[in-house]
Amino acid sequence: MRVPNSELLTLVDVTKRFGTTQALSPTSLSIERGSFVSIVGPSGCGKSTLFNILSGLLLPDGGEVAVGGKSVVGSTGHAGYMLQKDLLVPWRTVLGNITLGAALTGRVTEEDRRQATSFATRYGLGDFLRHYPGSLSGGMRQRVALMRTLALNTELLLLDEPFGALDAQTRFEMQQWLLSVWRDSQRTVLFITHDVDEAVFLSDRVLVMSPRPGRIVDDVEVAITRPRTLATLTETDFTTIKARILRQLHRDAESLS
Amino acid sequence: MNRFKIFRNLVVPVISFSALIGLWELIILWGHVQGYLAPTPLAAWEAISSNWSTLWPLTSWTIKETVWGFGAGAVIGILFGVLMSKLRFLQRSLYPVLVVTQAVPIVAIASPLVLLMGFNLGPKVVIVAWIVFFPVTVNVLDGLNHVDHDLITLARVLGARPWRTFFLIEVPATITPLFSGLKIGATYAVTGAVIGEMAASSGQSLALYQHTQIGQLNSAGVYGTTILMTAIGMSWFLLMITLEHLCTPWLRRSVARRWSRGARTLDNTYVVKGAK
Repeated sequence: MRVPNSELLTLVDVTKRFGTTQALSPTSLSIERGSFVSIVGPSGCGKSTLFNILSGLLLPDGGEVAVGGKSVVGSTGHAGYMLQKDLLVPWRTVLGNITLGAALTGRVTEEDRRQATSFATRYGLGDFLRHYPGSLSGGMRQRVALMRTLALNTELLLLDEPFGALDAQTRFEMQQWLLSVWRDSQRTVLFITHDVDEAVFLSDRVLVMSPRPGRIVDDVEVAITRPRTLATLTETDFTTIKARILRQLHRDAESLS
Repeated sequence: MNRFKIFRNLVVPVISFSALIGLWELIILWGHVQGYLAPTPLAAWEAISSNWSTLWPLTSWTIKETVWGFGAGAVIGILFGVLMSKLRFLQRSLYPVLVVTQAVPIVAIASPLVLLMGFNLGPKVVIVAWIVFFPVTVNVLDGLNHVDHDLITLARVLGARPWRTFFLIEVPATITPLFSGLKIGATYAVTGAVIGEMAASSGQSLALYQHTQIGQLNSAGVYGTTILMTAIGMSWFLLMITLEHLCTPWLRRSVARRWSRGARTLDNTYVVKGAK
Protein backbone atom coordinates (compact mmCIF):
# COMPACT_ATOMS: atom_id res chain seq x y z
CA MET A 1 0.00 0.00 0.00
CA ARG A 2 3.06 2.20 0.26
CA VAL A 3 2.93 4.91 -2.39
CA PRO A 4 6.48 6.11 -2.99
CA ASN A 5 7.25 9.80 -2.75
CA SER A 6 3.76 10.82 -1.70
CA GLU A 7 3.30 13.16 1.19
CA LEU A 8 1.24 12.10 4.18
CA LEU A 9 1.61 15.15 6.38
CA THR A 10 1.87 18.75 5.23
CA LEU A 11 2.33 21.84 7.38
CA VAL A 12 2.13 25.32 5.89
CA ASP A 13 3.17 28.32 8.00
CA VAL A 14 1.94 26.85 11.26
CA THR A 15 2.49 29.24 14.19
CA LYS A 16 1.72 29.26 17.89
CA ARG A 17 2.30 31.86 20.55
CA PHE A 18 1.74 31.60 24.31
CA GLY A 19 1.36 35.12 25.68
CA THR A 20 4.51 36.91 24.60
CA THR A 21 6.46 33.72 23.87
CA GLN A 22 6.70 32.62 20.27
CA ALA A 23 6.43 28.86 20.90
CA LEU A 24 6.49 28.04 17.21
CA SER A 25 7.46 30.51 14.51
CA PRO A 26 5.92 29.94 11.06
CA THR A 27 6.84 26.37 10.20
CA SER A 28 6.35 24.54 6.94
CA LEU A 29 7.10 20.89 6.57
CA SER A 30 6.14 17.84 4.62
CA ILE A 31 6.55 14.24 5.70
CA GLU A 32 6.70 11.41 3.23
CA ARG A 33 4.35 8.46 3.60
CA GLY A 34 5.99 5.52 5.36
CA SER A 35 9.03 7.43 6.54
CA PHE A 36 10.56 7.62 9.99
CA VAL A 37 11.35 11.21 10.97
CA SER A 38 12.89 12.31 14.28
CA ILE A 39 12.81 15.73 15.87
CA VAL A 40 15.64 16.70 18.23
CA GLY A 41 16.11 19.89 20.18
CA PRO A 42 16.53 21.29 23.69
CA SER A 43 13.62 21.71 26.09
CA GLY A 44 11.33 24.57 25.18
CA CYS A 45 12.09 24.47 21.46
CA GLY A 46 8.46 23.83 20.58
CA LYS A 47 8.65 20.09 19.85
CA SER A 48 5.74 19.22 22.08
CA THR A 49 3.77 22.27 20.93
CA LEU A 50 4.23 21.03 17.38
CA PHE A 51 2.99 17.56 18.37
CA ASN A 52 0.00 18.96 20.25
CA ILE A 53 -0.97 20.91 17.14
CA LEU A 54 -0.47 17.88 14.89
CA SER A 55 -2.61 15.68 17.13
CA GLY A 56 -5.33 18.32 17.32
CA LEU A 57 -5.03 18.95 21.07
CA LEU A 58 -3.94 22.52 20.42
CA LEU A 59 -5.20 25.04 17.90
CA PRO A 60 -2.46 26.85 15.96
CA ASP A 61 -2.68 30.64 15.74
CA GLY A 62 -2.26 30.38 12.00
CA GLY A 63 -1.33 28.04 9.19
CA GLU A 64 -2.60 24.81 7.79
CA VAL A 65 -2.11 21.17 8.83
CA ALA A 66 -3.17 18.45 6.43
CA VAL A 67 -3.01 14.67 6.71
CA GLY A 68 -3.48 12.82 3.45
CA GLY A 69 -4.53 16.08 1.80
CA LYS A 70 -7.33 16.74 4.32
CA SER A 71 -7.16 19.63 6.81
CA VAL A 72 -7.07 18.38 10.41
CA VAL A 73 -6.66 21.65 12.32
CA GLY A 74 -8.30 21.28 15.75
CA SER A 75 -9.67 17.77 15.20
CA THR A 76 -8.42 14.67 17.00
CA GLY A 77 -8.34 10.99 16.09
CA HIS A 78 -6.33 11.26 12.84
CA ALA A 79 -3.00 10.50 14.50
CA GLY A 80 -1.80 8.03 17.09
CA TYR A 81 -0.09 10.07 19.81
CA MET A 82 2.10 8.41 22.41
CA LEU A 83 3.58 10.33 25.32
CA GLN A 84 6.63 9.76 27.47
CA LYS A 85 4.42 8.61 30.35
CA ASP A 86 2.91 5.30 29.27
CA LEU A 87 -0.47 6.34 30.76
CA LEU A 88 -1.77 2.82 31.00
CA VAL A 89 -5.12 2.66 32.76
CA PRO A 90 -4.51 0.61 35.92
CA TRP A 91 -7.99 -0.91 36.07
CA ARG A 92 -7.88 -2.34 32.55
CA THR A 93 -5.90 -5.43 31.59
CA VAL A 94 -3.20 -5.38 28.90
CA LEU A 95 -5.86 -6.36 26.36
CA GLY A 96 -8.22 -3.72 27.75
CA ASN A 97 -5.51 -1.07 27.46
CA ILE A 98 -4.64 -1.97 23.88
CA THR A 99 -8.31 -1.72 22.91
CA LEU A 100 -8.90 1.47 24.95
CA GLY A 101 -9.21 3.61 21.82
CA ALA A 102 -12.03 1.43 20.49
CA ALA A 103 -13.74 1.43 23.89
CA LEU A 104 -13.63 5.23 24.09
CA THR A 105 -14.93 5.85 20.59
CA GLY A 106 -17.43 3.06 20.07
CA ARG A 107 -17.59 -0.60 20.82
CA VAL A 108 -14.74 -3.05 21.28
CA THR A 109 -15.48 -5.54 18.54
CA GLU A 110 -14.26 -9.09 18.13
CA GLU A 111 -11.99 -7.75 15.41
CA ASP A 112 -10.43 -5.22 17.83
CA ARG A 113 -9.72 -8.02 20.31
CA ARG A 114 -8.31 -10.21 17.58
CA GLN A 115 -5.99 -7.42 16.41
CA ALA A 116 -4.90 -6.60 19.97
CA THR A 117 -4.22 -10.26 20.70
CA SER A 118 -2.15 -10.61 17.56
CA PHE A 119 -0.12 -7.47 18.40
CA ALA A 120 0.54 -8.74 21.90
CA THR A 121 1.43 -12.20 20.70
CA ARG A 122 3.72 -10.97 17.95
CA TYR A 123 5.52 -8.54 20.23
CA GLY A 124 6.09 -10.83 23.18
CA LEU A 125 3.21 -9.98 25.47
CA GLY A 126 0.92 -12.86 24.49
CA ASP A 127 1.06 -14.38 27.97
CA PHE A 128 0.18 -11.10 29.64
CA LEU A 129 -3.17 -10.28 28.02
CA ARG A 130 -5.10 -10.63 31.26
CA HIS A 131 -2.46 -8.93 33.42
CA TYR A 132 -3.06 -5.56 35.00
CA PRO A 133 -0.41 -2.93 34.11
CA GLY A 134 0.68 -2.74 37.75
CA SER A 135 2.45 -6.07 37.35
CA LEU A 136 4.42 -5.13 34.21
CA SER A 137 7.98 -3.80 33.87
CA GLY A 138 8.69 -0.34 32.41
CA GLY A 139 9.65 -1.75 29.01
CA MET A 140 6.55 -3.93 28.85
CA ARG A 141 4.31 -1.01 29.81
CA GLN A 142 5.84 1.12 27.08
CA ARG A 143 5.25 -1.65 24.56
CA VAL A 144 1.60 -1.89 25.59
CA ALA A 145 1.28 1.89 25.21
CA LEU A 146 2.71 1.67 21.69
CA MET A 147 0.35 -1.20 20.81
CA ARG A 148 -2.55 0.94 22.04
CA THR A 149 -1.34 3.65 19.65
CA LEU A 150 -0.96 1.15 16.79
CA ALA A 151 -4.43 -0.28 17.43
CA LEU A 152 -5.97 3.06 16.42
CA ASN A 153 -4.97 2.12 12.86
CA THR A 154 -3.95 5.65 11.97
CA GLU A 155 -1.29 6.02 9.32
CA LEU A 156 0.50 8.72 11.27
CA LEU A 157 2.16 7.97 14.62
CA LEU A 158 3.42 10.76 16.87
CA LEU A 159 5.82 9.42 19.51
CA ASP A 160 6.93 11.96 22.11
CA GLU A 161 10.07 10.61 23.82
CA PRO A 162 8.53 7.20 24.34
CA PHE A 163 11.76 5.66 25.67
CA GLY A 164 12.97 8.63 27.70
CA ALA A 165 12.29 6.97 31.04
CA LEU A 166 13.91 3.62 30.26
CA ASP A 167 17.41 2.40 31.14
CA ALA A 168 19.97 2.21 28.32
CA GLN A 169 19.78 -1.57 27.86
CA THR A 170 15.97 -1.70 27.65
CA ARG A 171 16.04 1.38 25.50
CA PHE A 172 18.19 -0.23 22.83
CA GLU A 173 15.92 -3.29 22.80
CA MET A 174 12.89 -1.04 22.46
CA GLN A 175 14.48 0.86 19.56
CA GLN A 176 15.10 -2.39 17.69
CA TRP A 177 11.57 -3.45 18.47
CA LEU A 178 10.11 -0.13 17.30
CA LEU A 179 11.93 -0.46 13.98
CA SER A 180 10.51 -3.94 13.46
CA VAL A 181 7.01 -2.67 14.29
CA TRP A 182 7.48 0.21 11.88
CA ARG A 183 8.67 -2.15 9.14
CA ASP A 184 5.73 -4.56 9.71
CA SER A 185 3.01 -1.97 9.96
CA GLN A 186 4.26 0.48 7.29
CA ARG A 187 3.16 3.47 9.32
CA THR A 188 4.61 6.95 9.17
CA VAL A 189 6.43 7.86 12.38
CA LEU A 190 7.29 11.26 13.83
CA PHE A 191 9.56 10.74 16.81
CA ILE A 192 10.64 13.29 19.43
CA THR A 193 13.83 12.60 21.38
CA HIS A 194 16.62 14.33 23.29
CA ASP A 195 19.04 11.63 22.28
CA VAL A 196 20.91 12.34 19.02
CA ASP A 197 22.15 8.73 18.75
CA GLU A 198 18.61 7.50 19.01
CA ALA A 199 17.36 9.98 16.41
CA VAL A 200 20.02 9.08 13.82
CA PHE A 201 19.81 5.35 14.51
CA LEU A 202 16.06 5.18 13.96
CA SER A 203 15.35 7.74 11.27
CA ASP A 204 15.27 8.42 7.56
CA ARG A 205 15.41 12.09 8.38
CA VAL A 206 16.19 14.21 11.44
CA LEU A 207 14.76 17.68 12.06
CA VAL A 208 16.73 19.87 14.44
CA MET A 209 14.74 22.46 16.38
CA SER A 210 15.86 25.49 18.32
CA PRO A 211 14.09 27.64 20.94
CA ARG A 212 13.23 31.34 21.21
CA PRO A 213 11.50 31.37 18.85
CA GLY A 214 10.76 27.66 18.33
CA ARG A 215 11.75 26.74 14.77
CA ILE A 216 13.32 24.06 12.60
CA VAL A 217 16.97 24.98 11.99
CA ASP A 218 18.19 21.92 10.12
CA ASP A 219 16.76 19.06 8.12
CA VAL A 220 19.18 16.12 7.86
CA GLU A 221 18.80 13.14 5.55
CA VAL A 222 20.04 9.85 7.10
CA ALA A 223 21.05 7.74 4.13
CA ILE A 224 22.26 4.72 6.05
CA THR A 225 21.08 1.31 4.87
CA ARG A 226 18.67 -0.73 6.91
CA PRO A 227 18.52 -2.95 8.86
CA ARG A 228 20.76 -1.06 11.23
CA THR A 229 22.65 -2.84 13.98
CA LEU A 230 24.91 -2.11 16.90
CA ALA A 231 27.77 -1.72 14.38
CA THR A 232 25.89 1.13 12.69
CA LEU A 233 26.52 3.30 15.74
CA THR A 234 30.26 3.45 14.99
CA GLU A 235 30.16 3.80 11.20
CA THR A 236 31.62 6.94 9.62
CA ASP A 237 28.33 7.91 7.96
CA PHE A 238 26.63 7.70 11.31
CA THR A 239 29.20 9.75 13.19
CA THR A 240 29.33 12.41 10.44
CA ILE A 241 25.58 12.96 10.64
CA LYS A 242 25.67 12.88 14.41
CA ALA A 243 28.44 15.51 14.44
CA ARG A 244 26.41 17.79 12.17
CA ILE A 245 23.35 17.59 14.40
CA LEU A 246 25.39 18.07 17.59
CA ARG A 247 27.00 21.16 16.05
CA GLN A 248 23.57 22.63 15.40
CA LEU A 249 22.38 21.92 18.94
CA HIS A 250 25.64 23.15 20.42
CA ARG A 251 25.55 26.43 18.50
CA ASP A 252 22.27 27.20 20.24
CA ALA A 253 23.75 26.42 23.62
CA GLU A 254 26.70 28.75 22.94
CA SER A 255 24.53 31.59 21.74
CA LEU A 256 22.53 31.35 24.97
CA SER A 257 25.52 31.54 27.31
CA MET B 1 -4.24 -14.58 49.80
CA ASN B 2 -1.36 -16.31 51.49
CA ARG B 3 -1.40 -17.58 55.04
CA PHE B 4 0.39 -14.61 56.47
CA LYS B 5 -2.12 -12.16 55.02
CA ILE B 6 -5.05 -14.20 56.34
CA PHE B 7 -3.44 -14.14 59.76
CA ARG B 8 -2.75 -10.43 59.60
CA ASN B 9 -6.14 -9.39 58.28
CA LEU B 10 -8.46 -11.73 60.20
CA VAL B 11 -6.78 -13.29 63.18
CA VAL B 12 -5.13 -10.17 64.57
CA PRO B 13 -8.37 -8.09 64.73
CA VAL B 14 -10.17 -11.00 66.39
CA ILE B 15 -7.43 -11.25 69.02
CA SER B 16 -7.44 -7.53 69.80
CA PHE B 17 -11.23 -7.50 69.94
CA SER B 18 -11.27 -10.46 72.34
CA ALA B 19 -8.66 -8.77 74.49
CA LEU B 20 -10.87 -5.68 74.74
CA ILE B 21 -13.84 -7.76 75.93
CA GLY B 22 -11.61 -9.65 78.37
CA LEU B 23 -10.37 -6.35 79.79
CA TRP B 24 -13.95 -5.15 80.24
CA GLU B 25 -14.84 -8.36 82.14
CA LEU B 26 -11.77 -8.03 84.39
CA ILE B 27 -12.41 -4.36 85.24
CA ILE B 28 -15.97 -5.13 86.34
CA LEU B 29 -14.94 -8.19 88.38
CA TRP B 30 -11.78 -6.83 90.03
CA GLY B 31 -13.24 -3.37 90.57
CA HIS B 32 -16.30 -4.84 92.30
CA VAL B 33 -18.54 -2.67 90.11
CA GLN B 34 -22.18 -3.11 91.08
CA GLY B 35 -24.33 -4.80 88.44
CA TYR B 36 -26.74 -1.83 88.12
CA LEU B 37 -23.87 0.55 87.31
CA ALA B 38 -22.26 -1.51 84.55
CA PRO B 39 -22.62 -5.13 83.48
CA THR B 40 -20.00 -7.69 82.54
CA PRO B 41 -19.89 -8.47 78.81
CA LEU B 42 -21.40 -11.86 79.58
CA ALA B 43 -24.38 -10.26 81.34
CA ALA B 44 -24.86 -7.85 78.43
CA TRP B 45 -24.81 -10.78 76.04
CA GLU B 46 -27.39 -12.63 78.15
CA ALA B 47 -29.61 -9.54 78.13
CA ILE B 48 -29.57 -9.71 74.34
CA SER B 49 -30.04 -13.46 73.90
CA SER B 50 -32.78 -13.92 76.51
CA ASN B 51 -34.79 -11.01 75.06
CA TRP B 52 -34.08 -11.80 71.43
CA SER B 53 -37.76 -12.20 70.49
CA THR B 54 -38.39 -8.62 71.70
CA LEU B 55 -35.12 -7.17 70.41
CA TRP B 56 -35.01 -8.65 66.92
CA PRO B 57 -38.08 -6.74 65.57
CA LEU B 58 -36.62 -3.52 67.01
CA THR B 59 -33.21 -4.26 65.54
CA SER B 60 -34.64 -5.10 62.13
CA TRP B 61 -36.58 -1.81 62.25
CA THR B 62 -33.37 0.11 62.88
CA ILE B 63 -31.64 -1.85 60.09
CA LYS B 64 -34.50 -0.87 57.77
CA GLU B 65 -33.98 2.80 58.67
CA THR B 66 -30.28 2.58 57.84
CA VAL B 67 -30.90 0.65 54.59
CA TRP B 68 -33.18 3.34 53.20
CA GLY B 69 -31.27 6.22 54.75
CA PHE B 70 -27.84 4.96 53.71
CA GLY B 71 -29.06 4.07 50.23
CA ALA B 72 -30.66 7.47 49.71
CA GLY B 73 -27.65 9.27 51.23
CA ALA B 74 -25.21 7.39 49.00
CA VAL B 75 -27.21 8.06 45.83
CA ILE B 76 -27.75 11.74 46.66
CA GLY B 77 -24.10 12.09 47.70
CA ILE B 78 -22.82 10.61 44.43
CA LEU B 79 -25.26 12.72 42.41
CA PHE B 80 -24.18 15.95 44.12
CA GLY B 81 -20.50 15.06 43.75
CA VAL B 82 -20.81 14.30 40.03
CA LEU B 83 -22.99 17.31 39.22
CA MET B 84 -20.75 19.68 41.17
CA SER B 85 -17.59 18.41 39.46
CA LYS B 86 -19.20 18.80 36.03
CA LEU B 87 -20.89 22.16 36.58
CA ARG B 88 -18.56 24.67 38.19
CA PHE B 89 -21.29 27.20 38.98
CA LEU B 90 -23.13 24.48 40.90
CA GLN B 91 -19.97 23.73 42.84
CA ARG B 92 -19.61 27.39 43.79
CA SER B 93 -23.27 27.87 44.72
CA LEU B 94 -24.09 24.51 46.28
CA TYR B 95 -20.96 23.66 48.24
CA PRO B 96 -21.47 26.34 50.95
CA VAL B 97 -25.10 25.28 51.34
CA LEU B 98 -24.03 21.67 51.85
CA VAL B 99 -21.53 22.73 54.49
CA VAL B 100 -24.31 24.61 56.29
CA THR B 101 -26.47 21.47 56.35
CA GLN B 102 -23.70 19.73 58.27
CA ALA B 103 -23.18 22.60 60.69
CA VAL B 104 -26.78 22.35 61.88
CA PRO B 105 -26.80 20.11 64.98
CA ILE B 106 -28.46 16.91 63.82
CA VAL B 107 -30.41 16.60 67.10
CA ALA B 108 -31.95 20.00 66.41
CA ILE B 109 -33.36 18.98 63.06
CA ALA B 110 -34.84 15.74 64.36
CA SER B 111 -37.82 17.39 66.04
CA PRO B 112 -38.79 19.67 63.11
CA LEU B 113 -38.62 16.60 60.88
CA VAL B 114 -41.02 14.76 63.17
CA LEU B 115 -43.43 17.70 62.88
CA LEU B 116 -43.15 17.51 59.12
CA MET B 117 -43.13 13.77 58.55
CA GLY B 118 -44.71 12.09 61.54
CA PHE B 119 -43.57 9.24 63.74
CA ASN B 120 -42.83 6.57 61.16
CA LEU B 121 -39.86 5.68 58.98
CA GLY B 122 -39.72 9.09 57.24
CA PRO B 123 -37.74 11.33 59.62
CA LYS B 124 -35.24 8.57 60.49
CA VAL B 125 -34.46 7.93 56.83
CA VAL B 126 -34.01 11.64 56.22
CA ILE B 127 -31.66 12.03 59.17
CA VAL B 128 -29.52 9.05 58.13
CA ALA B 129 -29.36 10.29 54.53
CA TRP B 130 -28.55 13.79 55.83
CA ILE B 131 -25.49 12.46 57.65
CA VAL B 132 -24.39 9.96 55.00
CA PHE B 133 -24.53 12.08 51.84
CA PHE B 134 -21.97 14.68 52.93
CA PRO B 135 -18.77 12.61 53.20
CA VAL B 136 -19.80 10.85 49.99
CA THR B 137 -20.23 14.15 48.12
CA VAL B 138 -16.97 15.61 49.39
CA ASN B 139 -14.96 12.51 48.49
CA VAL B 140 -16.55 11.98 45.08
CA LEU B 141 -16.04 15.65 44.22
CA ASP B 142 -12.39 15.55 45.31
CA GLY B 143 -11.87 12.29 43.47
CA LEU B 144 -13.34 13.57 40.20
CA ASN B 145 -11.45 16.86 40.47
CA HIS B 146 -8.15 15.02 40.90
CA VAL B 147 -8.32 12.45 38.12
CA ASP B 148 -4.89 12.35 36.42
CA HIS B 149 -5.19 15.10 33.84
CA ASP B 150 -2.88 13.26 31.43
CA LEU B 151 -5.36 10.38 31.31
CA ILE B 152 -8.10 12.79 30.25
CA THR B 153 -5.76 14.21 27.59
CA LEU B 154 -4.99 10.68 26.44
CA ALA B 155 -8.71 9.99 26.09
CA ARG B 156 -9.04 13.15 23.98
CA VAL B 157 -6.15 12.09 21.76
CA LEU B 158 -7.80 8.73 21.30
CA GLY B 159 -10.87 10.60 20.02
CA ALA B 160 -13.11 9.79 23.00
CA ARG B 161 -16.65 11.00 23.47
CA PRO B 162 -17.02 12.91 26.75
CA TRP B 163 -19.45 10.56 28.45
CA ARG B 164 -17.25 7.57 27.59
CA THR B 165 -14.27 9.31 29.15
CA PHE B 166 -16.46 9.78 32.20
CA PHE B 167 -17.46 6.13 32.54
CA LEU B 168 -14.20 4.50 31.42
CA ILE B 169 -11.66 6.88 32.97
CA GLU B 170 -13.16 9.20 35.58
CA VAL B 171 -15.52 6.79 37.33
CA PRO B 172 -12.98 3.98 37.89
CA ALA B 173 -10.45 6.57 39.07
CA THR B 174 -12.94 7.77 41.69
CA ILE B 175 -13.84 4.38 43.18
CA THR B 176 -11.34 4.59 46.05
CA PRO B 177 -12.41 8.08 47.26
CA LEU B 178 -16.06 7.09 46.78
CA PHE B 179 -15.60 4.19 49.17
CA SER B 180 -13.75 6.41 51.65
CA GLY B 181 -16.91 8.51 51.79
CA LEU B 182 -19.19 5.48 51.99
CA LYS B 183 -17.16 3.97 54.84
CA ILE B 184 -17.40 7.17 56.88
CA GLY B 185 -21.12 7.32 56.09
CA ALA B 186 -21.57 3.66 57.05
CA THR B 187 -20.31 4.19 60.58
CA TYR B 188 -22.45 7.30 61.05
CA ALA B 189 -25.65 5.82 59.59
CA VAL B 190 -26.70 4.01 62.73
CA THR B 191 -26.02 7.11 64.85
CA GLY B 192 -28.47 9.02 62.67
CA ALA B 193 -31.09 6.30 62.95
CA VAL B 194 -30.84 6.22 66.75
CA ILE B 195 -31.08 10.01 66.99
CA GLY B 196 -34.23 9.82 64.88
CA GLU B 197 -35.64 7.13 67.15
CA MET B 198 -34.86 9.17 70.26
CA ALA B 199 -36.67 12.19 68.85
CA ALA B 200 -39.87 10.32 68.26
CA SER B 201 -41.01 6.78 67.80
CA SER B 202 -44.44 5.33 67.59
CA GLY B 203 -44.53 2.01 69.38
CA GLN B 204 -41.14 0.42 69.88
CA SER B 205 -37.59 1.10 68.77
CA LEU B 206 -34.10 0.24 70.00
CA ALA B 207 -33.63 3.76 71.37
CA LEU B 208 -36.93 3.62 73.24
CA TYR B 209 -36.15 0.13 74.55
CA GLN B 210 -32.83 1.36 75.86
CA HIS B 211 -34.56 4.28 77.53
CA THR B 212 -36.90 1.89 79.32
CA GLN B 213 -33.95 -0.22 80.50
CA ILE B 214 -32.30 2.88 81.99
CA GLY B 215 -35.50 3.56 83.89
CA GLN B 216 -35.34 0.07 85.33
CA LEU B 217 -31.62 0.41 86.20
CA ASN B 218 -31.04 -2.66 84.03
CA SER B 219 -27.47 -1.91 82.94
CA ALA B 220 -27.16 -5.24 81.10
CA GLY B 221 -30.14 -4.32 78.91
CA VAL B 222 -28.72 -0.84 78.25
CA TYR B 223 -25.31 -2.16 77.23
CA GLY B 224 -26.87 -5.00 75.26
CA THR B 225 -28.86 -2.50 73.20
CA THR B 226 -25.73 -0.46 72.57
CA ILE B 227 -23.95 -3.59 71.37
CA LEU B 228 -26.77 -4.28 68.92
CA MET B 229 -26.63 -0.73 67.57
CA THR B 230 -22.86 -0.98 67.20
CA ALA B 231 -23.20 -4.29 65.39
CA ILE B 232 -25.45 -2.67 62.78
CA GLY B 233 -22.85 0.06 62.14
CA MET B 234 -20.03 -2.47 61.94
CA SER B 235 -21.98 -4.61 59.47
CA TRP B 236 -22.39 -1.63 57.19
CA PHE B 237 -18.69 -0.90 57.39
CA LEU B 238 -17.75 -4.52 56.63
CA LEU B 239 -20.18 -4.55 53.72
CA MET B 240 -18.50 -1.45 52.28
CA ILE B 241 -15.02 -2.95 52.66
CA THR B 242 -16.19 -6.11 50.90
CA LEU B 243 -17.76 -4.14 48.06
CA GLU B 244 -14.63 -2.02 47.71
CA HIS B 245 -12.51 -5.16 47.42
CA LEU B 246 -14.79 -6.54 44.72
CA CYS B 247 -14.77 -3.24 42.80
CA THR B 248 -10.98 -2.76 42.77
CA PRO B 249 -9.40 -6.10 41.82
CA TRP B 250 -6.44 -4.38 40.11
CA LEU B 251 -5.18 -3.06 43.45
CA ARG B 252 -4.53 -6.57 44.75
CA ARG B 253 -4.26 -8.87 41.76
CA SER B 254 -1.72 -8.99 38.97
CA VAL B 255 -3.95 -11.05 36.65
CA ALA B 256 -7.64 -10.39 36.05
CA ARG B 257 -10.14 -13.06 37.01
CA ARG B 258 -11.68 -14.98 34.15
CA TRP B 259 -15.16 -13.60 34.72
CA SER B 260 -14.20 -9.94 34.92
CA ARG B 261 -15.18 -7.77 31.97
CA GLY B 262 -11.71 -6.51 31.23
CA ALA B 263 -10.41 -10.06 31.13
CA ARG B 264 -12.24 -11.10 27.98
CA THR B 265 -9.64 -12.40 25.61
CA LEU B 266 -10.21 -14.22 22.38
CA ASP B 267 -9.70 -17.76 23.64
CA ASN B 268 -12.00 -17.19 26.55
CA THR B 269 -14.72 -15.67 24.36
CA TYR B 270 -14.72 -18.83 22.36
CA VAL B 271 -14.96 -20.93 25.50
CA VAL B 272 -18.12 -19.04 26.43
CA LYS B 273 -19.54 -19.52 22.95
CA GLY B 274 -18.74 -23.23 22.98
CA ALA B 275 -20.51 -23.66 26.30
CA LYS B 276 -23.82 -22.38 24.94
